Amino acid sequence: MVKNLKSGIMVMLVLVLTVFLAACGSGSNEGAAGEATSGGSEASNYPEKPVTFIAPSGAGGAFDTALRSVTKILSDTGLVEQQMTVEPKPGGGGTVFMSEYATQDTKDDYKLFLSSPTLLINNLKKEANTPYGYKDTTPIAALFQDYGVIAVGADSEFDDLQSLFEHMKANPSELSVAGGSAPGALDHLTFLIPANEYGLDAAKIKYIPYDGKSESMTALLGGNADALASVASSVSEFLEAGKIKVLAVDAPERLPAPFEDVPTLKESGIDAEFAIWRGIFGPKEMTPEAKEFWSTKLEEMVETEEWQAELEAKGWEPFYKNSEEFEQLLADQEQRITDALKSMGMANE
Amino acid sequence: MEVLDFLAQGFATAFQWRNLLFALFGVIIGTSVGVLPGIGPMSGVALLIPITSSITGGLSPEEAATSSIIMLAGVYYGAMYGGSATSILINTPGESASVVTTLDGYQMAKQGRAGEALSISAIGSFFAGIMALIGLIFLAQPLSDLAISFGPVEYTALIVLGLATVSGLAGKSMIKALIMTVAGLSLSTVGVDTITGVARFTFNQPILYSGIEFLTIAVGLFAIGEVLKTIAERDYIHGNLQKINRILPTKKDLKDSSMPILRGSILGFFIGILPGAGASIASFFSYSVEKSVSKDKGQFGAGAIQGVAGPEAANNAASGGSLIPLLTLGIPGSGTTAIMMGALLMYNVQPGPLLFDKHPQVAWGLIASMFIGNLLLLILNMPLIRVFAKIIATPPKYLLPIILAIAFFGVYAVQVTMFDLFLLIACGVLGYLLSSNDFPLAPLVLGLILGPMLENNFRRALTISNGDYMIFLGSTMAVVMFIITILWLASPAVFKVLAKNNILNKEDIHTED
Repeated sequence: MVKNLKSGIMVMLVLVLTVFLAACGSGSNEGAAGEATSGGSEASNYPEKPVTFIAPSGAGGAFDTALRSVTKILSDTGLVEQQMTVEPKPGGGGTVFMSEYATQDTKDDYKLFLSSPTLLINNLKKEANTPYGYKDTTPIAALFQDYGVIAVGADSEFDDLQSLFEHMKANPSELSVAGGSAPGALDHLTFLIPANEYGLDAAKIKYIPYDGKSESMTALLGGNADALASVASSVSEFLEAGKIKVLAVDAPERLPAPFEDVPTLKESGIDAEFAIWRGIFGPKEMTPEAKEFWSTKLEEMVETEEWQAELEAKGWEPFYKNSEEFEQLLADQEQRITDALKSMGMANE
Repeated sequence: MEVLDFLAQGFATAFQWRNLLFALFGVIIGTSVGVLPGIGPMSGVALLIPITSSITGGLSPEEAATSSIIMLAGVYYGAMYGGSATSILINTPGESASVVTTLDGYQMAKQGRAGEALSISAIGSFFAGIMALIGLIFLAQPLSDLAISFGPVEYTALIVLGLATVSGLAGKSMIKALIMTVAGLSLSTVGVDTITGVARFTFNQPILYSGIEFLTIAVGLFAIGEVLKTIAERDYIHGNLQKINRILPTKKDLKDSSMPILRGSILGFFIGILPGAGASIASFFSYSVEKSVSKDKGQFGAGAIQGVAGPEAANNAASGGSLIPLLTLGIPGSGTTAIMMGALLMYNVQPGPLLFDKHPQVAWGLIASMFIGNLLLLILNMPLIRVFAKIIATPPKYLLPIILAIAFFGVYAVQVTMFDLFLLIACGVLGYLLSSNDFPLAPLVLGLILGPMLENNFRRALTISNGDYMIFLGSTMAVVMFIITILWLASPAVFKVLAKNNILNKEDIHTED
């Protein structure tokens, strides 16, 4: 009995100790946070510690690739001296990240992220949405455009988009379409908008969501999906190697090699354009100093030769918009996506 | 032999003094990173990327890419070597792949056999690393085709098989093991569902949106739980930890371990090539296989050297295998390889189907440097074992607070939230209560790791088939795995019946005498 009591006391002591340790941890954390905010108010000092850029998608995916290019050029050209790290944050097609960012990091000048129209879609769609949209961030700059593509395996029977859509019309629910984001998100819309325009029933398209663009590519290559919706930069290597056939690109005109033989949607007789920009955002309550810093740096960056070379190497189209222009674009696109989702009964009303 | 030509060129690249130095630097950092729980191979590699890029700044892009990937790969497999140390010495798994090493490794340490456990895991890791490399060189292309043909159906079957191996992790009671597995699976559903994005069991707390971190649970259950147990049961009074008798394994140890290492290497390599499956499943599989083929099952969980040798070989072989989808397809199979892919992309070297044609220097230089790196690790680690093993001889009054500090530091370094520290404490108490009531902890961790993979692949398969369950019987590979699962689960019962018959027969013979 006494023995038990003693051991109980020991356990309690350890618990008290651990709680104490934990409390210490919290104290130092608050201290660090306080430093960060006070540092932000002195314009000349920002950034005085490493800056994290979040890619709200799987590692090696389109956002990750884009951010690694941006941070590499910013540091190679000497525009930004401070260390920059890229951190992939997968899950829920970006909603996981957004829920966290818009609630916990609203003042963190040292945490920026890159996004695409996904940011708007996640806020506007009916299922699996997040209550947070672009208004819960500080748009800093749009940098470039990537184009949606629809691809099939190299040995697929389909050689053009019409024959694929025709087959899907005649045999609904037979073919599956893989994408690297949640239903209703970007990859899904890349396929749905032209399919909808062609007269396919949106509800009967079998869309299989994977955790990222490399996983969805694996599914196509391994024959576990019949078609793939993705973006040009994520599939170019596989097209060049002859592993896949790209049926159409969602671009105003044909893209350079290796896409020179791929028709645009318009050439395929489908009139639906859905441009996919990539832009940098900061937290909602970003200090003016930090916003100014990144606006200037990014504006300088897009003028560099290194950036031009990178755009060409990755197959991206230049699409620079400064903070005000970007916000205007976001407002316009929010309207267009709402309309598109409404027509498919997928809007959040 | 074209392959050998390329390999020779690769060795020429890897033997440049600069690259040798990078490999050495990489494996040293990797080992230290592996020893500290919390900083796993993933964060180790991520933290080093900016450093490598500035060191290699003066080189041509191709050379810089080669040198930095050599160093980062060194960190990766170095961490796999080092990761076993804390599992064996203080029952604290640093990453998911070394959870199963705690089961027998820590028991061996308690019996004063920490030296043998550490050295056999280094030797096993070395052989596995070399075997995986040979596999990588000669089988990369055919295996990458096999790896991508693994779809949702096959993954579902593989994970079901993985869960069936829980029988191998069970202590005395199978039912308790199953309860723990289901608890692990249930915990894994917390967070935003990645298929539909719906929040489950999050109670509108954003902290729960990304789910419950595996590391917090594992460190809490194993390390904190063990500390509480030591205190509560007053183990420390008797100076429970014996002196370390020896560093090198005995001849018998080597003989006992050779087959587990071989089996673990092969198993680990093949599971490693599957994107997403990875080192943790490989180590769990290997443990269960060793236990089931062993004649003396009672030894497992009480310090069987086979239970250390097999899984340690398996997780190292898996890290070699996981380079196949990365290099040949541009598909990262694990968090760490994803970050390595990011590093290559920084130098505009795109891993993928064209890597070996476009950048042979990078690809073959990396492969050749891994031979050298593995050898360096073995040479480095043997003397270090003596140092590590001393940790065990630290008096508990110093050791226990150190373990607590490392556990808290490790979890906070990864999650940076107070929530996880409270969760850590709760898991520690839970771990103590569960293990003192004979509930095995490893099945819970296994459930937590496999849960999301099982669920997502199961649902993807059913979406493809429009809800028809027959899809799971439509793939030969999946059917084979389901049959193995059934045999695995049924075999103990069948053996029991057979054994009974045997005894009866013998008794019959006796009576006839």
